[in-house]
Amino acid sequence: MTPPEPAPTPPPGFVLHKKRLRFLGLTVEDCIKAFFGGNAIMSIVVLALITYFLFREGAGFFGQNRQNLEVYRQAGLEYVDYLRQQTDDHTALTRYLSDVRLRALNHYAEERKLSFEDASTALAPFDEFAGKFGDAVEPLRGLVSELSDVATAIKTKFIVNEDKKEERRQLLAENKAAEAAQVAITPVDFATELKPLLGTLPAYKDANREFAAQLTTLVSRVPALPTPDLQQRMARWQQLARDYLATFPTVERNLEQWDYRQPVPAWKSFSSFVFGRQWLTASFWQDWYGILPLFVGSLLVSLVALTLAVPLGVGAAIYVNQIASTREQKIIKPCIEFISAFPSVVLGFFGIAVLGQALRLLSQQEWLAWIPGFPYSERLNILTAGCLLALIAVPTIFTLAEDALNNVPTALKEASFALGASRLQTTLKIIVPASLSGIISAVLLGLGRVIGETMVVLLCAGNRIAIPDFGRGLAVITEPVHTMTGIIAQEMGEVVRGSIHYRALFVVGLVLFILSLLINYLAQGIVRRYRISIG
Amino acid sequence: MESPSTASPTDRDKAANSSVRMGTASLPAGTDPSAPRSPASRTLIDIEHLDFFYGQTQALNDISLKIQDHKVTAFIGPSGCGKSTLLRCFNRMNDLIDGTRVPRGTIKIHGVDIYQPDVDVIELRKRVGMVFQKSNPFPKSIYENITYGLRLHGKTEKSKLDEIVEKSLRGAALWDEVKDRLHANGLGLSGGQQQRLCIARAIAVEPEVILMDEPCSALDPVATAKIEELIQELRSRFSIVIVTHNMQQAARVSDRTAFFYLGRLIEYADTRDIFTNPANPQTEAYVSGRFG
Repeated sequence: MTPPEPAPTPPPGFVLHKKRLRFLGLTVEDCIKAFFGGNAIMSIVVLALITYFLFREGAGFFGQNRQNLEVYRQAGLEYVDYLRQQTDDHTALTRYLSDVRLRALNHYAEERKLSFEDASTALAPFDEFAGKFGDAVEPLRGLVSELSDVATAIKTKFIVNEDKKEERRQLLAENKAAEAAQVAITPVDFATELKPLLGTLPAYKDANREFAAQLTTLVSRVPALPTPDLQQRMARWQQLARDYLATFPTVERNLEQWDYRQPVPAWKSFSSFVFGRQWLTASFWQDWYGILPLFVGSLLVSLVALTLAVPLGVGAAIYVNQIASTREQKIIKPCIEFISAFPSVVLGFFGIAVLGQALRLLSQQEWLAWIPGFPYSERLNILTAGCLLALIAVPTIFTLAEDALNNVPTALKEASFALGASRLQTTLKIIVPASLSGIISAVLLGLGRVIGETMVVLLCAGNRIAIPDFGRGLAVITEPVHTMTGIIAQEMGEVVRGSIHYRALFVVGLVLFILSLLINYLAQGIVRRYRISIG
Repeated sequence: MESPSTASPTDRDKAANSSVRMGTASLPAGTDPSAPRSPASRTLIDIEHLDFFYGQTQALNDISLKIQDHKVTAFIGPSGCGKSTLLRCFNRMNDLIDGTRVPRGTIKIHGVDIYQPDVDVIELRKRVGMVFQKSNPFPKSIYENITYGLRLHGKTEKSKLDEIVEKSLRGAALWDEVKDRLHANGLGLSGGQQQRLCIARAIAVEPEVILMDEPCSALDPVATAKIEELIQELRSRFSIVIVTHNMQQAARVSDRTAFFYLGRLIEYADTRDIFTNPANPQTEAYVSGRFG
């Protein structure tokens, strides 16, 4: 047995253990790690907070909206709106008649060179007819305005009552029971309140019968007009008027069956938001929170923007990547990327001051009259906003599409050339298809950029809250719209915190958030697939 | 760039004329240092005093050599010796790189100088096919990969295309492996199959020459053996120029071998002579593995 070898001692200078600087028990590395980790966690926390806040503020909307719809029914506003719809439809027909009159007048003045007086004389039978048609609705209109007052009164009473209830609740919360007892609350008895409203039904039926009879005789005796085109328009009007008359029984039935006690189903508060065609706030009559006009507005503006930005961005990317010389690349790339350096409010300002004006002027050129919607007079509309948004989307689309084209292996390009393909053939048949998913995701991210853009649309889209008239075909792009982003920016500053309007804006924000999330998710999914396919 | 349909007829005429002329006047043996010892074969590519520059860097220096019809010619040499550059001159692939130029010398194929300004590069590349170092099938189906070149040149008749696809795949010894999945993506094949697909794609347009730029360097030995076998089969139909780092490969597949070093042609002779009896000491040092 040999004695055990003594434990080895390291030679001097052979030092392996860490020399640690400690501060509050933490090493320098720990601090650095904590700093970077903290930054990462921070962004996650902020994202979570924003999402939570959006959902919390938005969630209350649907309950409040349901209440809003209930009051609409209980106070009889719904009832009056049935009637109002009838008079509104009549007004539309009257407007159609005045349009026909204007055309006829133009015809007399331009084709037949009649003086204004002579033309008016020639139109006298028509005017008489239109006058009769217009006057026929007067009794009905009187009824509507009378009933409107009644319904508004009921609603006001109810709201005052609700306010008092709230006041009492607050007083009770502050332990002021005595003062709370002093707040007088007289519950609204809708049945009694609605009596005068519902009592007018027989009178309405009489008036309506008379009205229908008058219209029927009028419609069958349409005055003659000078041109076939106008005659045709009149025939169309006749058809519309007959359709209108056919709705009368439905209106009466609706009025008869109407019952203020009918409950408003919960889904109504959701569907009236998602499919609601009206966004009407701070109205003396009834507030409506329908996202549809805003959504359609955002969508149309984005579509116009993309239609312009996709060819520009992708085309420029193809040019820079495939065709341009190195020197051209060095000029073009920074230029396009520089566009994104413009603050969007400056672009919006430019849109109002220059582009809107210029486009309108252009639209009024005679040689451009063939373009749908031209000429137009609204300076701020979908087209103006779309053009500017295109400018914002171009750098995004260009940069990402260029990256996608760049990612196509040179080997593929060479293989194509070696088979005798021209540069154009190689670009179109190999490079663009190989990078297509990358280009599509570039376009989607451009869409995300555009749909979230606020300042430009707020300044340049015209801010009319209405679904544009799709019956005009492509000309729809010359109409003003309002957008989801625009409405939030415009109204958020003025609403009462916690009110239904405030919450409605949050829900709009939520819709935007989900939309952007969806677009980004889609784009990333496509990019991931594209990476695999090139392998 | 000119479209393939408008290729100048004069080019073709010239090519036809010169091939006739060269057919009758084959070079007398012994007058040319690079002339074959074996029974006379026609010259297909004739390179004379070629210089080549990448910007300021000279990559090829006074290269003169004649490549023969229906033979396999191998280019060997250490990395950076210019063999790939020379290969890529034959179908003018170097045109795609900025700053390249050929200040001196000519490359004639069938007697036509391919660096003349009136030469249609597209027509040239149709006749001079190429297979690359790394297999590069298009991210399309096998069928589309092969018909790509044909469609470019205006052939779209379905039955004709089907026929050529089968013929090319058989020619590339790939038909039996892929005949049931012609419409599957070409990228789904193995590395060796992809390379054979690239060869099939090149022979589909019926070129006269196939240039192969280290076609086996990314393949395993089994796939390499298959490609080499394929080259042996293709030599009856095409002239082949192959660049390789693998000297055994050059010895196995080629008829003639050219050894390059630092942009110069050092020796060009029958493969057997290069490997058994090199005339130049540098060649001998390289083939015996003492440098490179």
